[in-house]
Amino acid sequence: MTAMIQLSNVSKWYGDFQVLTDCTTQVAKGEVVVVCGPSGSGKSTLIKCVNALEPFQKGTILVDGVSVGDPKTDLPKLRSRVGMVFQHFELFPHLSITDNLTIAQMKVLGRSREEANDKGLKYLDRVGLKAHAAKFPGQLSGGQQQRVAIARALAMDPIAMLFDEPTSALDPEMINEVLDVMTGLAHEGMTMMCVTHEMGFARRVADRVIFMDRGHIVEDCAKEEFFGAPRGERAQQFLSKILQH
Amino acid sequence: MMDFSQIIPALPALTDGMLLTLRLLGLSVVGGVVLGTLLALARLSDRRVLSGLAKFYVNYFRSIPLLLVISWFYLVVPLIYNWLTGSFEPVGAFTSCLVAFVMFEAAYYAEIVRAGIQAIPKGQVNAAYALGMGYGQAMRLIVLPQAFRKMTPLFLQQSIILFQDTSLVYAVGLLDFLNTARSKGDIVGLPHEFLIFAGAVYFVISFGATLLVKRLQKRFAV
Repeated sequence: MTAMIQLSNVSKWYGDFQVLTDCTTQVAKGEVVVVCGPSGSGKSTLIKCVNALEPFQKGTILVDGVSVGDPKTDLPKLRSRVGMVFQHFELFPHLSITDNLTIAQMKVLGRSREEANDKGLKYLDRVGLKAHAAKFPGQLSGGQQQRVAIARALAMDPIAMLFDEPTSALDPEMINEVLDVMTGLAHEGMTMMCVTHEMGFARRVADRVIFMDRGHIVEDCAKEEFFGAPRGERAQQFLSKILQH
Repeated sequence: MMDFSQIIPALPALTDGMLLTLRLLGLSVVGGVVLGTLLALARLSDRRVLSGLAKFYVNYFRSIPLLLVISWFYLVVPLIYNWLTGSFEPVGAFTSCLVAFVMFEAAYYAEIVRAGIQAIPKGQVNAAYALGMGYGQAMRLIVLPQAFRKMTPLFLQQSIILFQDTSLVYAVGLLDFLNTARSKGDIVGLPHEFLIFAGAVYFVISFGATLLVKRLQKRFAV
């Protein structure tokens, strides 16, 4: 399989403080990779480096063969091909749900309003929220907003999806509706990189699990192996803590 | 005894004066907000030279009296116009004043816009970028519309101050509302009545607008 996302020796500093150290991994086409680890381990920073929302100082990241760190790379174009879902949804509060779904399709991809509407509503229907098209983000629950955010990213026809803790700002009863949408996507063969603490989701859906600690990728292995017998002590501690509740 | 009856025959002239005041106000607000927004974007820019220049501009105009700016531009604008176009056509006091107000008010609007932009969470910009928008699109489509919504009460407040400050154009002889009232009052020998009347008009408009802003603020606060 060819790598859709390839990270090689990625290092990043905030001033003197090193947040990422020599991170190397890849996500193959159609693969679902879950990135986990304690808070402050750099997992959110790592995933934001993939679409250049965070700059990094060393190493290379290739997305579909395009180098993210190369100053000659057309970043907006690259980002338009990679969907991203954020912890706090980040729907645009001044725009209706329909406009949230269509604005980038029209302004970035140059689609007509009809085409963008059709596509947006199709994905809104898919996440089960077609009836809410005319509402504004503030009128929806957190789980609903996050599903709209996923639909908004999908409407751009991305080659891969990045999820940055998509359920950690949600009330417990809303987590599953978002995970269900993500599970459906994974089963359709979407290439996905997910930063999440949802180990149940990782167990059910992930192909591989990456465990990070203090800016290092400590474990990077197939899901069965990870949940069977993670080698490192930190990963074992983390798992025992997170699986207890 | 006060005699307000002489105001009635002067009403057409006073109306013309008020129209000039409002025209100057409207154009200055539009120009000031546009230039102020550009200044705010420059100030927030990563490019140090650009942000330094914008910072200097804002601090400079906030540190000198408006009356000075009006008098100064009255002298300088025709020279610049002549230098740019080679034409000796007179520029006129209105245009000079308009340029002065736009440049001066832009410094104040810039600070309002800057605060407004900074109040928009970074995640909104990231979301716009993640969808493939460039800096300009992210600002124009996502950040500024939200920022302007939040800033509307402050814009209006600043514009009420500007409405009163337009009266400073008397310095270069423009017949705005106050200057018309003053000269009419002098002509008919009733300066007190005309000034009291002018004061009442300014009060009604400014205070009415302030009440409106308060109501807006309540609505925007929700």
